[in-house]
Amino acid sequence: MSVPPTIETERAPAVRTDPTRSVRVRLRAIDPRAYVVYLAFLLILVFFAATLSNDGFLTSANLLNILKQTAPISVMAVGMVFVLSAGEIDLSIGSVVALSALVAAVVLRDVGLVAGIAAGLGTGVVVGAVNGLFVTVLRLPSFLVTLATMGLVGGLARSITNLESVAVTDQTFANAFGSGDVGPLPSLILWTLGVVLVGHFVYRHRRFGAHVLAAGDNAAAARVTGIRVNRVKLAVLVGSATLAALAGLLYAGRLQGANYNLGSSDLLLVIAAVVIGGTRLFGGSGTVVGALVGSLIMGMLNNGLILMGLSSSEQLIAQGVLLLLAISLTLREPKA
Amino acid sequence: MRTNRLVAACATAAALLGLAACGGSSSNGSGGGSAGPTPIKSSKTVGRTTGPNGEKATPTSALKLSAADIAKVKSGHYTAALTWHQSSDFVTAVTAGARDEFAKLGITVTATTNANFDAGKQKNDIETVMAKKPDVMLSLPVDPVATASAYKSVTRAGTKLVLLSNVPKGFVQGRDYVTVVTDDLFQMGKHAADALAASIGDKGKIAYFFHDASYYVTNQRDQAFKKTIEANYPNIKLVAQQGIADPNKAQDQANAILTKNPNLDGVYVTFSQPPAEGVLSALRNNGNTKTKLVSLDLDEPLTVDMARGGNVSGIVSDKAYELGQAMAMSAAYGLLDRKAPPFLVAPAITITKDNLAHGYEESLHQAPPKAVAEAAK
Repeated sequence: MSVPPTIETERAPAVRTDPTRSVRVRLRAIDPRAYVVYLAFLLILVFFAATLSNDGFLTSANLLNILKQTAPISVMAVGMVFVLSAGEIDLSIGSVVALSALVAAVVLRDVGLVAGIAAGLGTGVVVGAVNGLFVTVLRLPSFLVTLATMGLVGGLARSITNLESVAVTDQTFANAFGSGDVGPLPSLILWTLGVVLVGHFVYRHRRFGAHVLAAGDNAAAARVTGIRVNRVKLAVLVGSATLAALAGLLYAGRLQGANYNLGSSDLLLVIAAVVIGGTRLFGGSGTVVGALVGSLIMGMLNNGLILMGLSSSEQLIAQGVLLLLAISLTLREPKA
Repeated sequence: MRTNRLVAACATAAALLGLAACGGSSSNGSGGGSAGPTPIKSSKTVGRTTGPNGEKATPTSALKLSAADIAKVKSGHYTAALTWHQSSDFVTAVTAGARDEFAKLGITVTATTNANFDAGKQKNDIETVMAKKPDVMLSLPVDPVATASAYKSVTRAGTKLVLLSNVPKGFVQGRDYVTVVTDDLFQMGKHAADALAASIGDKGKIAYFFHDASYYVTNQRDQAFKKTIEANYPNIKLVAQQGIADPNKAQDQANAILTKNPNLDGVYVTFSQPPAEGVLSALRNNGNTKTKLVSLDLDEPLTVDMARGGNVSGIVSDKAYELGQAMAMSAAYGLLDRKAPPFLVAPAITITKDNLAHGYEESLHQAPPKAVAEAAK
């Protein structure tokens, strides 16, 4: 199969003959479904803004809350876009969040700031490398490999502190990874922006992004064209686990503590955010910015439904209904 | 492609379905009828419930509000937010008790949340409801360490915080929160010991399934059970002790214990849903109709089994509705700037086949579910 149309349209050299024809061609090349996620986002935003105008939804503090609360999901979603685009999946990210947060908190307490950050991120690199090596060297399906490491890493997270929570008292760490602000912006938002921008740039504008998509679209064809598919798959799995480790640090900084349960409900949220955002579950196409929007949709739904004063059960029902609507809009296949 | 959508939809739905884990009910009170060869008697109390920071317990019945107090609170037209740790029968009953008491006080509940035992989600929930600037918050902190920063913002905003069972690390009563309310945890474990002992005639071999997590509520209840058996029942031997770290895997653990100890007379399980349900299922799968099971917190499958004369011989529960009422009354203490007792406990009740309807009413303030009532006929 060819490289996906999004890449083609961005990289195709412009034919400078008839400018109006060029615009028409470009307009025809736009797939409207790629933009429905933004429409869904706007519709949900407008709906809550209208119904919750007196309940604090539109206050800057609340909107900042939504951005802050979705930061770990957004960061992990960027990694997941690469993994899914490469035709793989990473189920271990929730467990990596807990283990990296706990490792960082313990090393931070016992050794120091730099060592704590390095140990936390290093945890992700190691788990990602294990995932990647099993997938590439032993040619095992990533679904099963990461299912196994999800249990393994989750067990390690429970055992390293014997189920005890660990407090984070280092204020520099807490400020840098979740509790502080840089100028007017909370550090969590800066981390999100940084990861999304770098992710988007690499995905859309670097050769690596095209290789990821090619590997996910048709690995055999990609190999023929000289792409080192195994290296690409190893890299995306290491990247995904490392971003999960970063999410673990963001949780530890934001909560000023870590426990083995952190991230336990994040995996499916991340997959939902990425897929709603427009990334194909089985590889070949995707969008980093769409994943961010998907993550914000999930966060906004959670926030708005609580502010509506619904009971917990009603919130779940409403979330389900609204998500079905969003999925119907964003993932509907065109008629053949 | 269609599979893609299906998987995505399933993933999303599953992400949104809350995982219910341990409940948190308990209480004291008279034992119900006897389900075993001997009636349940109250053995010597060999310990007492202490607060998360060692506070002495005060019964919830000590809280009093005069008509003038109620009128004063009513005139404030206050609002409340409830930020719970999970959703369960227990939380529903606590919420009902709190809502009814709030209604008397003219306090409106404007938001309710459920964290599914996830500290990160609870922090998000708390931040979200604070956009509504509630005057009062009732909450059970999922983790005293990892949620402390979330509750600091509540205290800073001047919202009166009333806690259930857990206290965030570093928090001082009176300064940071009004009070903490919980079950009489030691009495719950002791009631379970007395009930199991009675059902097996005060002698035999038992297995002890405890909650293998650092959780103040379950740890105190489990320890109280063990201490009471060891101190008061010399003819009962704890032949197997099994920690349950993942409540959903209790059935597998029970299968292993039952294989190693096929002649158990009784089992204690730390809480009902899901671990005691898992252990009951393992007993059934092994064709075991003899081993008696006692657990904590009311739960429909367990009570149906008990009503039918199955393995379950007793369930110890708390007065969850009363806990909710006490939390709402404590909130009024906070709004009136009156010092509340630092640590309040609601009593425990032992429910057996003979006092099912009364037990449900006492604990959850509702009639037994239809299936339980039919099984009891």
